[in-house]
Amino acid sequence: MVGVPEGLSTTLGPLTLKHPVINASGTFDALEADRIIAGDYISEFPFAAYIPKTVTLNPRVGNDPPRLYETAAGLLNSIGLANMGIEAFISRDLPQLKTLPVPLIVSIAGERTQDYGRCARLLDDIDEVAAIELNISCPNVELDGRALGCDPDRTMKAVSLAREATSKFLIAKLTPNVTDIVTLAAAAVEGGADCLSMINTVHGMALHPGTLKPVLGHVTGGLSGPAVKPVALRAVYMVSAALDVPVIGMGGATTAQDVLEFLAAGASAVAVGTANFRDPLIAGSMIQGLKKLMDERGLGSVEKLIGISHRP
Amino acid sequence: MVAKPAPASLIEYPVVESRPVGAYRLISFVAREIAATANPGQFLMVRQAGPSLDPLLPRPLGIHDIDSDLVRILIEPVGKGTYELSTLRVGDRLSVLGPLGNGFDLQGVGTALLVGGGIGVAPLALLARSLTASGRNVQCLLGFRTRSQAVSAELFRDYYVDVFTEDASVGTRGLVSEPLSACLSDNSGRRDEQAAEVFACGPDPMLREVARIAGDSGARAQVSAAAHMACGIGACQGCVVKTTSGYQRVCSEGPVFEADELIW
Repeated sequence: MVGVPEGLSTTLGPLTLKHPVINASGTFDALEADRIIAGDYISEFPFAAYIPKTVTLNPRVGNDPPRLYETAAGLLNSIGLANMGIEAFISRDLPQLKTLPVPLIVSIAGERTQDYGRCARLLDDIDEVAAIELNISCPNVELDGRALGCDPDRTMKAVSLAREATSKFLIAKLTPNVTDIVTLAAAAVEGGADCLSMINTVHGMALHPGTLKPVLGHVTGGLSGPAVKPVALRAVYMVSAALDVPVIGMGGATTAQDVLEFLAAGASAVAVGTANFRDPLIAGSMIQGLKKLMDERGLGSVEKLIGISHRP
Repeated sequence: MVAKPAPASLIEYPVVESRPVGAYRLISFVAREIAATANPGQFLMVRQAGPSLDPLLPRPLGIHDIDSDLVRILIEPVGKGTYELSTLRVGDRLSVLGPLGNGFDLQGVGTALLVGGGIGVAPLALLARSLTASGRNVQCLLGFRTRSQAVSAELFRDYYVDVFTEDASVGTRGLVSEPLSACLSDNSGRRDEQAAEVFACGPDPMLREVARIAGDSGARAQVSAAAHMACGIGACQGCVVKTTSGYQRVCSEGPVFEADELIW
């Protein structure tokens, strides 16, 4: 990683990040980018931490296509956690990711609650894994009919199973598709989460303009992109006001101004997702842009910016 | 072996040519890197440069043709993204990521039957150019619904072309898949290197028919698949098609697949 301006470093518990911009799980593949795009995406990695696509205990083929549909300033997806399974990830991808110059955060999801403990245990003794993100919020996978992250008791249970299995820094990724996100955030922290990331995608669907039938093969999906940013900003604002754990903000961040606002709302770091699809080099320009915006406001450090919207 | 794709780059280019071709629009820009390295059948992720967030994402467009340093794309305005692209004029700027994906395998030597349906004719011009340059006998079967779409057959005037329209407004009435059987009839059972080979791009029902007809006559068929795409670079897993080895990404394992590997 080259050319990171001064004053942008931030922390997530024991993790020190060179700047606050990381990728959202499932939206940037370091190995594919390195293979396909000119340049060295490993040694000059643009994000301050890397979160690969969520892995599950067993491989998953994912949902029937079509899996994507663009809506007004947004993107609907129903990928369905397609992944190679955690054991293949550990044996195939992880060795290639060991040379990344940034912390590696592995995202795991359970098809059953106990999977969170089993997956976390498999990662516990791997030194290169700096932290684990618990994806308890994927909207496109049926877990007994509903996302686990919609239920405070099951959220607490899933997080506590992972907590018992590992001493690694634990991040719980929350869904916005709930009545009161602060209740779910509190349940995750009570279960042992060290950090909260929010938001996963917002439930949505689209009809084909001609046939008036659902476009997505899975009928419904998750909405991301600029269209959901106000939903995400509110979640970050409310949870960071209510709880004393670091928050990773995400949901539609596309510009340096968006990063500035998520930090001001209380996030300690900001994950970029759908914007990577628009421009796979966007992280670099966001970081430069953030520095400029901070300088214009006389903000010498990210630390001073975090949560500034809560202060009088 | 298919040539290993060259690295892709993300660069803004000014439009240097923008003209209607019947129902479609032909847009050209000067991109030396893409022109020098792209293989027929590869694609570009293209959007209008600038901060507008709607449309949000680039659209995957096959490279239509390359003429020296000039790269051409052919656009059918079917949705918001392609409509916006089709309004671009000389001097407007494109954001282009590419070249991407795996193009056609050009190793064969037999007659090349290029089968295009609608906007699926787009990548066949560069393919016809490359095949002709390598001494292959090239025959194009281009099918369209309407006269305005069929205007794009003029982009293939350097090659041997048969045009088919569903409304008989241009060329022969019927689907492009119908004459393919006849073209492959003397190919029956042959799979030696002189055997005719099919290269196809078009709507799914056409590709399915092409796959069936080629399969029946034992001919090899390579087809370029299409899907809604977000990243274009293998990250999002969104653009999958069903194949004999499970779901495969159009952007990374494709867009060109062996016809007999796709499950319809």
